[in-house]
Amino acid sequence: MDEHRIDPDEERRTIVERYTKGREKIRDQIGDWEDPQNLVLFTDRYGFIHDQQLPPRLSKHEAKVRQKEISRTSKWLKMLEQWDKYFPNSEKLRKRVYKGIPNSLRGEVWTRLMEVPQVKKEQEGRYQELLDYGLYNSKDIRQIDLDINRTFRNNDMFRDRFNAKQQELFRILVAYSVYNKEIGYTQGMSQIAALLLMYTSNEEDAFWSLDRLMSGEKYAMHGFFIDGFPKLQRFADHHDKILKKFLPRVYKHFKKFDINATLYTLKWFFQCFLDRVPFSLTLRIWDCFMLDGEMILTCFSYTLLKLHKRSILDKSMEDLISFLQIDLEKDFGYLDDQAIRELQIAINELRKQKMESPAKTNTDAEKPTRPFGMLLQADNVSIMTGTDDRSIAGSINLKNSDSVSLAQTSRTSSEVDQNELENTELDDVEVNDFCKIQRSCSIYDNVDINESIEAAKRLSELTTNSDQRGFFKLQITLS
Amino acid sequence: MATRGGVQRVNGSTQGKIFQYKLVLLGESAVGKSSLVLRFVKGQFHEYQESTIGAAFLTQTLCLDDTTVKFEIWDTAGQERYQSLAPMYYRGAQAAIVVYDITNQDTFNRAKTWVKELQRQASPNIVIALAGNKSDLARKRAVEMEQAQVYAEENNLLFMETSAKTAMNVNEIFLEIAKKLPKSDQSSAGGGSGSGRPGVDLTQSSQNTSSGCCKS
Repeated sequence: MDEHRIDPDEERRTIVERYTKGREKIRDQIGDWEDPQNLVLFTDRYGFIHDQQLPPRLSKHEAKVRQKEISRTSKWLKMLEQWDKYFPNSEKLRKRVYKGIPNSLRGEVWTRLMEVPQVKKEQEGRYQELLDYGLYNSKDIRQIDLDINRTFRNNDMFRDRFNAKQQELFRILVAYSVYNKEIGYTQGMSQIAALLLMYTSNEEDAFWSLDRLMSGEKYAMHGFFIDGFPKLQRFADHHDKILKKFLPRVYKHFKKFDINATLYTLKWFFQCFLDRVPFSLTLRIWDCFMLDGEMILTCFSYTLLKLHKRSILDKSMEDLISFLQIDLEKDFGYLDDQAIRELQIAINELRKQKMESPAKTNTDAEKPTRPFGMLLQADNVSIMTGTDDRSIAGSINLKNSDSVSLAQTSRTSSEVDQNELENTELDDVEVNDFCKIQRSCSIYDNVDINESIEAAKRLSELTTNSDQRGFFKLQITLS
Repeated sequence: MATRGGVQRVNGSTQGKIFQYKLVLLGESAVGKSSLVLRFVKGQFHEYQESTIGAAFLTQTLCLDDTTVKFEIWDTAGQERYQSLAPMYYRGAQAAIVVYDITNQDTFNRAKTWVKELQRQASPNIVIALAGNKSDLARKRAVEMEQAQVYAEENNLLFMETSAKTAMNVNEIFLEIAKKLPKSDQSSAGGGSGSGRPGVDLTQSSQNTSSGCCKS
């Protein structure tokens, strides 16, 4: 069967090429079946395609909501002008977020709530580096491609295969997969990244937004998406605790059917209710999530079951699962404003019992343990293996800009000796056994040096410019 | 899943009995697990079926002579990382469909890994079917049918090549599984979500007559 084996490198190249060229240039290579066949007749305000005509006029309620949104927009614009006065702790900001961020300003506000502008400034130029590296080295390209093919294809933005938004989505996920190697790419992330792309003003903002959601302390989604999903269990256990205390009959009802909380909360937690409640309500929950972080996952899960307690208790297992999985997305049964008001009530209720969030973990199992995005484009690189095989010293000749990220990175990695980073000369290095790689190297992964060397070899074929400004030495001890 | 209160006989009825089974779909990402289920349950096919995060649950009944078989189907996420959750879905399952894509050899290898895991970890009497999906793409075939056939025979698996797109063999594979599943009253009495629980015999109550398909 060997002739049928797909060479992963070849496959990666082919996929990357299609996304790089984009829809217009490869038009003739895109099969009919790769695009949705239905005509785009009706799209809603979020770009979702409907096969039935939407009502010609807005419902009374909807018209009122839009009117309010317009009047709120000017208030928000003023608030954005004096953002530091309101963020992070002003009551006014909180109140307004819970009333709903105007859709036209949502992207701007979300990125500010996630403090993306700062991160982006600190990391200037990094996104492009990560992307350049990722396109040649990411191991997740195949899975990313498979999932982009089925991410929000019912939305105008992502509908056409290899269109501009699909290209952006591809680049974000590829760059992220080499930036946070503990995650790489996990299914579920493509929809999150796509949602961010719908709202942020550009691809780089969406990338750093994704980074904030994963590694920012407030959201810490890293623990959901890494191997073993440690955060899922912790949140599901806490969810059960809340049910036992506040909704004991619902708890027993789930128990009766042997429905484990992780079964139905997984998508709530991993994607903050995307596809599980109507899109307009999802956005409202995300508004709150952006401001208040992970506790929203816990509190809205409780809110949802509380609001629907009666119908839940009446349902058989299959009806119950389909209710949570499908029906609520079509019709939540409550207006968005009502649902968010109930969320606020639930937050207060849970706060009184100190249950709005699960207890913090006392292990680091959910946190990033490896440095992020170590793609050090160096000019002269030596990697030395110590005699005892437990230590590897590498000396890297870096561009100055990299020194910042290298030092930052060491925060997350106890194995990297900060002092060593700051005061180094190539001459300092005592060499027992080393391999020297010319021109470029990636010391990304401090536990797999061979992988770094392989990557460096590949990169060195591509990188030709040299820029010698500073010397740094990395002392890495393998645990 | 859970006990349904053991066996209830249909009281002097003309209707057939309903047996209920838990079935899980496993296999590499994008081989068509969700599409097979969607075809079987709703008769539909979506070219760009969303990727399954965690798992999805659906049910479907089918008719077998004078009995009705109801499948509770757990459709799982294919990415390897999600494999750690799989035991939660195949625990207590009486049947499994392990799916691969006939145009991709790697997915066949992955299917074998799933079969091994099920043989080791799942209920000892689990009925396993191997589905070589996307048979409509035979011109891009990478896994020969004989190869899969031999493997299936060696491992005592049901085997069919299927196409969720054209519907070829989709109902058939579920039907074959239904035929192979045990349907004895005494064994149903055990109940519980533990290992090897045979189908639970349910009374066809008035409120869900629509789900039964066997009329006598």
